[in-house]
Amino acid sequence: MDIMKHKWWFIGIFLGAMLLCVIFLFVNPYNGWGQNPGSALNLGVDFTGGTKIYFPVDRPVTSDEVTAVLKTIDLPDFNYNPPQPNEYIDSNGDRQYQVLVYTRFLNDAEQEIVIDALEAKFGEAEQTQGLDITRVAPLIGKELLTNSLTAVLIAIALMLVYIWFRFELLSGIAAIAALIHDSLLVIGAFALFGLEVNVTMIAAILTVIGYSINDTIVVFDRIRENDRSKHRDVTFDEVANYSILQTFRRSLNTSFTTVLAILVMFLVVPNLREFLFALIVGMTAGTYSSIFVASPIWSILKDWLGKKKYA
Amino acid sequence: MRHDLRWKGALILIAVLIFGLLLSPVGTKVFKGPPLRQGLDLQGGIELLLTPDYRLGANVITKLEDELSRKIRNANIDFQIAPFGTLDGDRYEGLRFSFATENDLQRARNLGIFTNNYQFKVFGETKKLDFEPEIKGNVIELKILENAANFPKDSLQRSLAIIRNRINEKSVGMSEADVRLDEGKNRIYVQLPGVRSLQEAKGLITATGRLTFRINNRIVLDGTHLQDVRVNFDQNKRSWVILFQFKGDGARQMAKITTENVNKQMAVYLDETMLMDPVIQDPIPDGSGIISLGGTPKEEVERYALLMKSGALPISLRVVQSTQVAPTLGKEIVKQSMIAGVIGVLLVIGFMLLFYGLPGILANVALILYVIFVLGIMALFRGVLTLPGIAGVILGVGMAVDANVIIFERIKDELRNGKRVRPAVQSGFGRALTAILDSNITTLIAAGVLIFFGTGPVQGFAVTLTIGILASMFTAVFVTRFLLEWRIDHDPDRYAKHFGVKEVAE
Repeated sequence: MDIMKHKWWFIGIFLGAMLLCVIFLFVNPYNGWGQNPGSALNLGVDFTGGTKIYFPVDRPVTSDEVTAVLKTIDLPDFNYNPPQPNEYIDSNGDRQYQVLVYTRFLNDAEQEIVIDALEAKFGEAEQTQGLDITRVAPLIGKELLTNSLTAVLIAIALMLVYIWFRFELLSGIAAIAALIHDSLLVIGAFALFGLEVNVTMIAAILTVIGYSINDTIVVFDRIRENDRSKHRDVTFDEVANYSILQTFRRSLNTSFTTVLAILVMFLVVPNLREFLFALIVGMTAGTYSSIFVASPIWSILKDWLGKKKYA
Repeated sequence: MRHDLRWKGALILIAVLIFGLLLSPVGTKVFKGPPLRQGLDLQGGIELLLTPDYRLGANVITKLEDELSRKIRNANIDFQIAPFGTLDGDRYEGLRFSFATENDLQRARNLGIFTNNYQFKVFGETKKLDFEPEIKGNVIELKILENAANFPKDSLQRSLAIIRNRINEKSVGMSEADVRLDEGKNRIYVQLPGVRSLQEAKGLITATGRLTFRINNRIVLDGTHLQDVRVNFDQNKRSWVILFQFKGDGARQMAKITTENVNKQMAVYLDETMLMDPVIQDPIPDGSGIISLGGTPKEEVERYALLMKSGALPISLRVVQSTQVAPTLGKEIVKQSMIAGVIGVLLVIGFMLLFYGLPGILANVALILYVIFVLGIMALFRGVLTLPGIAGVILGVGMAVDANVIIFERIKDELRNGKRVRPAVQSGFGRALTAILDSNITTLIAAGVLIFFGTGPVQGFAVTLTIGILASMFTAVFVTRFLLEWRIDHDPDRYAKHFGVKEVAE
């Protein structure tokens, strides 16, 4: 099997997928296919600052019903998104209802006012499932966003240095290119489906990065070994191809068992679905990029630099 | 059995036994609670991030309003002034000045009062105020914050100690409460598992304000060293009284003040609200005194005592981040995750059996040991299991298999190259090791960065992921190898077949 024969195809798919994700960042259902510029992603309160309330109700309610209650609340600059009714089935098989309310950052007193208004209309939250509230001051949100982005960049930089040290710089660059592809695909998928981007999402992206680099390194380990012992007239393409084939079974098997474990969780634990969805997208992308993209990029870079030397 | 295999086997057995015991009811006794600590997102509770509240209270801001108004009016400028800010206790963001024209606004600015580091004398204290004017047309919105220099340097450390004490005092059995100080960022982080409402949480940490004692409107003492406040019935006076006790520095100061000011009134303030102004009848030498409030009813006296006690933080704190999780949801998720974990492990075990045959069984044993190791290490180091953390463990199940797969594929290669079983296993492990180390170390780098930069559940996830990676490396490199060499010792030639390699060259 000659994978490297089609390397430009694989790289084409890789670039195409990334381009598509970049497009989704600007045009997606969340910003009305580009109608509201400036909202590339559905950033959660973790990053924008604000208050997110899951208010339990004992019956299905409509968004308008909840909006009517919020309208009666008199607070300065009080703004909110349309409330989202929500339901899930608990492990006893009972259907539970809740409504999701987003407002600006509320201080303690203001939170009381909002909760009291909701309880006056829909009944005490304590009597049912209890309240679930996240409040983040805008300043803290900004800090979390910068911290998260710094974390991703530092992780990538450290990994590049490690690979440079253990392999070679070109391997590092090829591996990072694969990582950028994987993270971009996760972000693109979140843009496409308008899913909320929060701190947990950053954890998902870092997990995908860690997993995908793991996959890539196993192939590069073979390349390192085969490259050292290779005969003069063996091309880099042949080295890459041989190494990919040697690790092909392992790559597929590992990806399969991992995605299998996560898929089970995805089906059984509804509350973790967004996080697990990110992992599934990222790992599938990671499997593709570590088999079909990282090694071809390495080979192309090697050829390109080699030619430059003789020219 | 080979000598080295014997001690390796013993080591693995001991590790499994210890971790097994930790996770069993024995562990529950050792840790005086469930062996695996659950994060807030699993057991419910409240998490708060507190920072010093440098905004001005209503009393101070009205005085400041008067002073600034006077200065601007003296320059014959016409304007209107009002405090602004969202309702939060009695604190305001600052003052809003509305001028008739932009020219008036410029003239007011030229007075030089909107400077940083404004010195403001109020209630016998000179407060340093930080002004941050923002000009919007004819309006100046002046944000006002107290300078940190107005408060003792160790205010936050002292607040931390006070909050810790209160939580320990009021919540017997809530052993998992966590109170920490981030010195770099001047924030206090409080985690209160099992607490169900914001009021309850605030009741525990009650950051309502700063307690001060004043004579002639001068602050003579603050509530930092106030150790105890209680309500008692005084038989002689036939009324309810407040007993209070200062310790250390506070007691000494109290002795000095009360000796010098007998028969004067000493008012007790919470922020800028006067709670009471008793008369000093006798000096208080040892820090313990009594406030009698005449015939005030018991409830009222208790309320004062509570306010005195709860206000005894040296600095006011405000909530900048809070997470409140309903306990029902967490229990639900724990249940579901257990089911998912069991199904996931079974599926992976089935797959490995199908694909790798007998070596697959060994990998599966290693997989089960991996799960015991991860949970055992979590219990041992009191790690916190969070929602994404569970995903991390299950993710690890997939990855734990990986190292084994790499090793088996390598051994097969070696067998195909004509090596005999024992040397093939030897060199197969050797060659697989670089791949396993390099790939896992790069993943560890990502997890390490997450531990360092992450907060809350994300950090918990990173810790579980790290433990997972280490455990999977250990099980693959050490446990699988032991099992493999042990089985091969029994019957080497039969074993080659199980790797699916037909011809073994002699």
